Amino acid sequence: MLEIGLNHYLVLAAIIFCAGVFSMVSKRNAIGVLIGVELVLNAVNINFVAFGKYSGGNTSIDAQVIALFVIVLAAAEAAVAVAICTNYYRNLNTIDIDRGDAVSG
Amino acid sequence: MSWYEQFLVAGTVVPLIGFAFLVFFGHRLGKPLSGWFTVLVMGTSCVLATCVLFSWHGLSPADRAELTAAAVSNQFYWADMGSVPIKIGVKLDSLTVIMFFMVTFIATWIFVFSVGYMAGHSDEIDGQSKYHRFFTYLCMFAFSMLGLVISSNLLFLFIFWELVGLCSYLLIGFYFDKKFASNAAMKAFITNRVGDFGFLFGLMMVFFFLGTLDLDQAAANFRQQYASSTGLFAIGYSIDLFGWQVSGMTLATLMGVGLFCGAMGKSAQFPLHVWLPDAMAGPTPVSALIHAATMVAAGVYLVARIFRLLTPDAQMVVAVIGCITLTMTALIAIVQTDIKKVLAYSTLSQLGYMIFGLGVGAWTAALFHLMTHAFFKAMMFLGSGQVIEGCHHEQEITKMGGLHKKMPVTCWTFFIGVLAIAGTGIPWTGPGIGGFYSKDEILAAALMRTDHWPPEAEHHAKAAPSDEELESGLSYRLASDSPEHGATDTSAGHDSQPKSEQAHGPSELDHAAAHHVDQAALVARATDSEHPTSPLPKWLFWFPIAIAYVTPFYMMRLWWLTFMGKPRDQHVYDHAHESKLMYVPLVALAVGTFFCSYWVFRPLLADAASAATDATMVVAIDGHAHDADHAVGLMLHHDVHRDLVPIVGFAFLIGFGVAWAIYRNGLELATRISSMPGIAFMHRALRERLYIDQVYDFVLVMGCRGFSRLCSVFDAWVVDMVALLCAALVRRIAAFSGWVLDARGVDGVVNGVASLTKYAGNAVRQPQTGRVRNYVLFAAGSAAVVLLLILAGSGAWSAVVGWIGL
Amino acid sequence: MGANGETVTVLKPQLKLILAAVIACMAMTAAPRVAMASGGGGLDEGGFVSDVLGGSHPLFEAVGFYLFGGLAAFSAIAICFTKDVVRMAIWLFATLGAVAILYFLLTAYFLGVIQIIVYAGGTLVLLIFGVMLTTKSPSMQFAVSKIGLAAGGVVSLLLFAALMGLVLGTDWQRGEPTGSIPVATLGRDLLTTYLVPFEVISVLLLVVMIGAAYLARQERE
Repeated sequence: MLEIGLNHYLVLAAIIFCAGVFSMVSKRNAIGVLIGVELVLNAVNINFVAFGKYSGGNTSIDAQVIALFVIVLAAAEAAVAVAICTNYYRNLNTIDIDRGDAVSG
Repeated sequence: MSWYEQFLVAGTVVPLIGFAFLVFFGHRLGKPLSGWFTVLVMGTSCVLATCVLFSWHGLSPADRAELTAAAVSNQFYWADMGSVPIKIGVKLDSLTVIMFFMVTFIATWIFVFSVGYMAGHSDEIDGQSKYHRFFTYLCMFAFSMLGLVISSNLLFLFIFWELVGLCSYLLIGFYFDKKFASNAAMKAFITNRVGDFGFLFGLMMVFFFLGTLDLDQAAANFRQQYASSTGLFAIGYSIDLFGWQVSGMTLATLMGVGLFCGAMGKSAQFPLHVWLPDAMAGPTPVSALIHAATMVAAGVYLVARIFRLLTPDAQMVVAVIGCITLTMTALIAIVQTDIKKVLAYSTLSQLGYMIFGLGVGAWTAALFHLMTHAFFKAMMFLGSGQVIEGCHHEQEITKMGGLHKKMPVTCWTFFIGVLAIAGTGIPWTGPGIGGFYSKDEILAAALMRTDHWPPEAEHHAKAAPSDEELESGLSYRLASDSPEHGATDTSAGHDSQPKSEQAHGPSELDHAAAHHVDQAALVARATDSEHPTSPLPKWLFWFPIAIAYVTPFYMMRLWWLTFMGKPRDQHVYDHAHESKLMYVPLVALAVGTFFCSYWVFRPLLADAASAATDATMVVAIDGHAHDADHAVGLMLHHDVHRDLVPIVGFAFLIGFGVAWAIYRNGLELATRISSMPGIAFMHRALRERLYIDQVYDFVLVMGCRGFSRLCSVFDAWVVDMVALLCAALVRRIAAFSGWVLDARGVDGVVNGVASLTKYAGNAVRQPQTGRVRNYVLFAAGSAAVVLLLILAGSGAWSAVVGWIGL
Repeated sequence: MGANGETVTVLKPQLKLILAAVIACMAMTAAPRVAMASGGGGLDEGGFVSDVLGGSHPLFEAVGFYLFGGLAAFSAIAICFTKDVVRMAIWLFATLGAVAILYFLLTAYFLGVIQIIVYAGGTLVLLIFGVMLTTKSPSMQFAVSKIGLAAGGVVSLLLFAALMGLVLGTDWQRGEPTGSIPVATLGRDLLTTYLVPFEVISVLLLVVMIGAAYLARQERE
C-alpha cells in the first residue's frame, strides 16, 4: 500500500469523479452543477496524467498535453457556463436549474 | 336511286328535320309561328309526294315494275343480324306512293287546321307553353308514319311502327295534366303493347323460318318453301312447342296471325279496340290525323304488306276479327252521344271493314277503302273539331242542333263525309262517293267468297287449265274474265305481267261494251288442290251487309242532331261560330274525298295488287283485270255490284230515312224508343260499350290487382318473413361478431396497441423531465449499469476481490 | 428561507482556517516547482527537493499522495454535502489545489502550475462571480428532495463500484515511470505535434470569449 502505483491515482480519480457526478445530480443551483462538472474534469485529468506517468515511453508528454487542453477547455466551458447562468437568471429570475424544464416531454 | 325514291326519302326526312328544329327552337318560334313552320314542312313533303304520285301515275305498269325492281337493288346495307343482312330500302310501289301522298296531303291540311284549333286552346302548363310541343310531336309523327310507309324491311317497319305508337301516346296524353287524358294515353300504349307482342312474335318467326326480314324477300322465300316443300313446308316438318307437335302449316298460320296481332293493336281491332275511343282525349286534330286517317290505317297497311305471308287459316282469322269489330263497334256507335266518340266508333267500324276486306281477299278494295276513309273521316273529325271549338268545348250532340246556320261550311262538308261513309251513290249506274265504291267492293268480294266460291268450279270448264298444272300442286291464277287468257302460272312472278296486260287488251273493249258479268275481274289465287279454300260462312257476309244499313243511320243521326233541327242548348248555339283557318282544310279534304274516289287511287292500287298479292296460298280477289286507266269506281257496279244492289244498294237511303224519322224532332222519340222493354236492355248494353271495358277491367285490371295483392301477401308474409328472419339472424351474428370479435377482439387489439403506445409514450416521457440533473442522473446510471454488466461478463470481480484482499 | 427556497448562511470561521492552510501548503510546494519547471536549472535532478517533492522517494510519494489525495477526495465529497454555493466553491478550491499538488507528485510540474493558475485563479473566480451575479444573496440554498438525493447517491455509488471494478479488474500496461518533462519539450510538442489541436483550441477560446460576452450581455429593450 505504501508503494504508490497507477491504481491509487485511478481510485482517487474515481472518487472525485463520482463526487462530481453526485454534485451534478444533487445540486439545484446551476453554479453547483458547474462545480460538479469541474470536479469530473479534474478527475479525468488526474487519470490522464497518472496514465502518462505510469505507462512509460512518450505517453507522458501526450498525457500532459491532453490534460493541458482539458484544462483550457474547462476554463472555456466555465466562462460560457457562467454566461449562460447569468442569462438564465435574467430570464427566469432564479438560478434553480430545475425551473428550466421547458423542454420536458 | 331513281328520283322517286329520292323524293320519297326527302319527303320523309323533311319532317324529321322540322322535328329536330322544333325541339331546339320551337319555344323561340312561339305560338303561331311554330305551327306555320310545321305546315311549311309538311307542305314541302306534300309537294314532293304529289310530284311522285302524278309522275308515277303517268308511268306504264312495266316502267313501274322496273322502278320497283331498281329500288330493291338500291337498298342500303346496314348491318348483319346473325347471318342475315339487314338492308334499309324504299319499298317503291303504287301502294307506297299513294299511301305517302295520302299521309302528306291529309297531314298538311290537318296541320293547317291545327294552327287554327290550337289558337283557341289554352296550352299553358306550369306557366310554360306547350304549343310548340304539339307541333313538334306532329312533325315526329309525320316522319314516323312516312318512314313506316316507305320501309321495305319489316324491322324498320316495326321501328317506325313503334315510333308512331310513341307519338300517338304523347299526343293522346297532350293534356297530360288532365287525368282522363293521361289514362287514355296509357291505355292506348299498353293495349298496343299487347298487339306488338304478337307482332314481334311474328317477326321472330319470319326471321327464323324465312331467314330474312325484307318484305319481298320474305314473301319470295315463303313461296319458294311452299313450292318446293322445304323449310316450313317440308313434309313431316313440325316443332315441339311445349309438348304439342306443331306442323309447319300451323306455324305458318301462327306467323301470319302474330303479324296480324300488331295490326289488331294499331288498327284497334277486337279485342284490342278499347283504346281508340279513349284516345279521343287528345286534341281533335290528333284524332283526325292519327286516330282516324293515318296511324290506325297502318295496321291495315301492315296486313296488306304481309298479305303474301298469310295462310288461308290466318286469312280467316283476319276476316273474322274484322267482321266482329265492324259489327260490334257500329252498334255501339248508334248510342254514343259524344260527337267524337261516335266518329271514333265509326272509325273502328270502317277499320273493321278494311280488315274484313283483307280477310276475304279483297286487297284492292280494302286499301281503296282505307284511302277514301282517310279523307272523309279526317274531314269529319276536323268538322267535329270545328264544332267543338265553336261550341265552347261542348262535345255532347244532345246539346247541339241547328248549327247549320252558324257554321254552314262545316255542316255541308260534314254532310259530304256522311254521304261518303254511307256509301251513297246511284244504284246500278253510279256515280257515287267514297264508300259507294270502296265499301261495296269489299262487300262484293265477300259475296263472291260466300256465294260464288270456289271460282274454279264455275270456271273450270271455261278456263280449262291443263290437268298437268292442277296436279303439279303449284298455285295458279284463274283469270276468269277472259276464257282465252287461261290459267297462268303465278310462280312466273312479274314475268307474266306484260303478257296479262296484253291479254287484257281485247277484254277491255269487251268489258266497256257488254258489261260482261265476269268482268268482275276476279283473280283467285292459290286455291291449292291440297288446301282448297272453302266458301266463307254466310254470317261473314250478312253481318257486314247489316252494318252497311247501320252506318248511314248513325252517321245521319250524328249529323242531324248536330247541325239540323232546333237548337237544344241556347248557350252553345249562341256561341257557335266557325273560323276560316279551320274550314279551309275541311273543303280541301272534301275535294280530296271526291278526287280519291274517282281518280288515280283505285287504278294504282289495282296495279299494285298483282305484285302485292302474288301469294302462295292466300285468296286474293282483286280488280286486276281492270285496266288501270279505266274510270275508277265503275269496276264493280256492273257485275258484283249489280248483284249487291238489291241487297245493299239502298242501304244509305234506308239508314238516312230511319235516322231522319227518329231524330227529326229532336231526342224525344229516340228516348221513348230506347226505353222500350227489350230495346232498353240493348240500349244500356251498347251505351256501356257491350261491357267490354268492364270485362277487361274485371278480368285484367282486377285480376292484375288481385294477383298483385296475392303477391303482396306472399311478399309480406313469406318473403318478408324470410327477409326478417335473415335480418334477425344476421343481426345476431353481427351482434356476436360486433361485441365479441370486433369490440373485444379487433378493437381490443387496436386499443391495446394504442394504449400500449400511450403507456409506453408516457413511460418514456417521464424521464424527459427537462431537468438537466435528471439527465445526468440517467446518463450516469446507465453508464454505471453498462459498465457493471460488462464487468460482470468479464469476470473482473475476482480481480477486485483479489486486490482488496491484498 | 427565501421565496425560491433559498437559505442564507455565512462562512464558518473554521472553513476560513482550512482555506488558509491549503493556500499555504500550495504556495509552499508550488513555489520551488514553478521555479524549477520554468527555470529549468534551479533545482538539480536527484537533489533533496526533487527527491522529496518530486515523488522519487517512495515514502514521500506515499505520504504526499495520501495527504493531498485524501484532501482532494475529502473536499470533493464535502462539495457533495455542502448546500451553500460559496462554500462549495471554497471546497472546490481545496480540491483543485490538492489535485495540483498531485500533479507535482506525478512530476507534471507545468500542469500543476497551470492547474493552480487557470483553475484556482481563473475558473474559480469566474464561478464565484457567477454566484454573485445570479443570486440576490450569496448564500442562498435550494432544498433537494430526499428521493433525488437517494437516487443520486445510489447512482454515484454504482458508478463508483463500476469504476472500481474497471480500475482494479484491468491489467494496465506498465512501464518505467517517467520523470518530469521540461516545459520546453511541452512547448515544442504543442507547436509541432499538437499544432492543429492547439490552433483549434485557440480559435475555440476566441469563440468562447465572444460567445460568453454575447450571452452575458445586458439585453437592450
